[in-house]
Amino acid sequence: MKTENTTTLELRLRPPEHRVSRRAIGHWAASAGVGWLLVTGGQAVAVATADNPPSWLWTTLVLSCVLAPVHLLVMPRWRYRVHRWEVTGEAVYTQSGWLKQEWRIAPISRIQTVDVERGPLEQLFGLARLTVTTASAAGPLRVSGLDHATAVELVDELTHATHEVQGDAT
Amino acid sequence: MSAAAPSVPITAEGADEAPWHRLDRRMLLIRPVLDLVKSLPVLIGALVLGHDGNPWQWIGVAVTVVTVGTGISHVLTSRYRVTATQVEWHTGLLLRKQRAVPRDRIRTVDVLSEPKHRLFSLSAVRIGTGRHDHHKGPGKDQLVLDAVTRAEAQRLRTLLLHRKPAAVEAPPETVLAEVDKRWVRYAPFTLSGIAVVAAILGTVYHFAHELHFDPTRFGPLRELTARVLQEPVWLVVVWAALGLLAVVSVLSVGGYVLSFWNFRLTREPGGTLHIRRGLVTTRSVSIEEDRLRGVEVKEPLPLRIVGGAKVAAVAAGLREGKGSDRGGSLLLPPAPASRATEIAGQVLGLDLANVPLVRHSAKARTRRISRAVLGVLLLSAALFGLARLGAFPEWPWQAALALLPFAVAVGFDRYRTLGHALAGQYLITRSGSLARATVAVRRDRLTGIAVHQSLFQRRAGLVTVIAPVAAGRGHYRVLDIEEGAGLALADQAVPGLLTPFLESPEKP
Repeated sequence: MKTENTTTLELRLRPPEHRVSRRAIGHWAASAGVGWLLVTGGQAVAVATADNPPSWLWTTLVLSCVLAPVHLLVMPRWRYRVHRWEVTGEAVYTQSGWLKQEWRIAPISRIQTVDVERGPLEQLFGLARLTVTTASAAGPLRVSGLDHATAVELVDELTHATHEVQGDAT
Repeated sequence: MSAAAPSVPITAEGADEAPWHRLDRRMLLIRPVLDLVKSLPVLIGALVLGHDGNPWQWIGVAVTVVTVGTGISHVLTSRYRVTATQVEWHTGLLLRKQRAVPRDRIRTVDVLSEPKHRLFSLSAVRIGTGRHDHHKGPGKDQLVLDAVTRAEAQRLRTLLLHRKPAAVEAPPETVLAEVDKRWVRYAPFTLSGIAVVAAILGTVYHFAHELHFDPTRFGPLRELTARVLQEPVWLVVVWAALGLLAVVSVLSVGGYVLSFWNFRLTREPGGTLHIRRGLVTTRSVSIEEDRLRGVEVKEPLPLRIVGGAKVAAVAAGLREGKGSDRGGSLLLPPAPASRATEIAGQVLGLDLANVPLVRHSAKARTRRISRAVLGVLLLSAALFGLARLGAFPEWPWQAALALLPFAVAVGFDRYRTLGHALAGQYLITRSGSLARATVAVRRDRLTGIAVHQSLFQRRAGLVTVIAPVAAGRGHYRVLDIEEGAGLALADQAVPGLLTPFLESPEKP
């Protein structure tokens, strides 16, 4: 068996060309904020109403109150620096994540569906989420936090491009 | 009708006005009996509950009549035909159903003969399309003809898969593998018997519970328990373990013989792999080689210890692990590992045994071991926390700590297993310790490339390269490969796809 030759290869993936909308920071913070509100709120209510709250509940409550602001401050900005996308004539290329990062590339010829989704929070921020699926069960390419107008444009472009490619995309 | 099927003018088959065929009438002798047996619980329940003037027994009888009637009407009213473009199927008397499957989408034709079918040499034919519905049940794009004669099943198979009406004689085929009776020795190590034992115990417990039968009040069993409790604990444990092992082994061997007897893997000139197997219930699966995305050699730890392995196809349209579909993609039952590699290679047209796999770097070793150790430490810490809160006794977290050496061993073995290679049309990757698997997937059928990097991988300069494919498990991973090497591998695996997005920092 050979071992990897590490010296010859210093390849890297360059980041995709476009950033997502800057409003995505607010959206990610808001949606994470809702989650934290439920978690800390639930614990606070439990502590306040119980006659003799167990000591560990205090610990987790304090922990949540410390973690929540840190998460809300760090995560959206970090994500904004990472999340990027690019569409060329041959492929769709996305970069996402923060602690765990992910690069996905799908050739236009393998695209099966292109969707745009908008949840209530996304509508509030004027954003949309683009989902590009292929035939594999490995999961679709997602670009969240796109400006709505850009997303719609992109869907048109991708649908047009996929129509021109023949085959059953598997 | 179908008994006379081969004499149907073949020219009409596949034309727009193709003749209709019906299910074999002999199913009328089988189906009602089976339906009656199935509805026996309802019938008995109704008779037990019912008295004179009580409607229960009539409801029970009505349900049974409807069940049997539906079965009979299914056999009588179902008809199918093969036109130029699609397979059409109509059924139902009151609730009519029609289904049409386009012929160019048909990828698999499975022929299943259960004991009930074998009584009259019949077979159930399942016609499936290549849709990859890993998470859904049997979709609408699947047709089951239950049942037709064996000759008709064979005719449909050649007609639909080879797209030629060479009906009567089967095409010549080359045998790739046949089961060897000595392979039964691998059966106990598949642990398939454990599932059977669990099922039996579950059923016994269920019935005991239903009948309000308390085993602790059952005389002989009570005496036995009392006698056993007088023996030293270690002796009881050893005896129980040995007994269980013996039962599991016997059942596994039985299961192996039942499922894999007469196993034959053949290749037909039309480009189809054909698998036939089974002692009592015979099964025949065809896989179009066009649909074959790759092959997986699986070595679960018990099987690996005794030098065994099994082979499965990575093919679109074959679902994994769902009821009767389970094992549909099996290309070789548990057999010697060298034989398994050889067969996998023959299926792929690749000398798999002599493809050198590239080992991963020492950083991957650190990561595999630290992940295994960290998992055990976290478990132990959680149990420790629960013990502090008084919810758990002390020994669980200490026991978890005792697992540490095993975690190190498993982590190291995981690292030793890691490997990847590009060979001809295929990307080969190997990983896993408890369930080691070597997979070769067709590079030109990948639906893209994905690269993952966690925080810890980023610090170590490693990535996980993911090859998505529309078959099998959906994606196959090359774990913990050096970033540069991983990207080079991905770039070579799918030429041109990654190239515009790559850069090398030290440009000359």
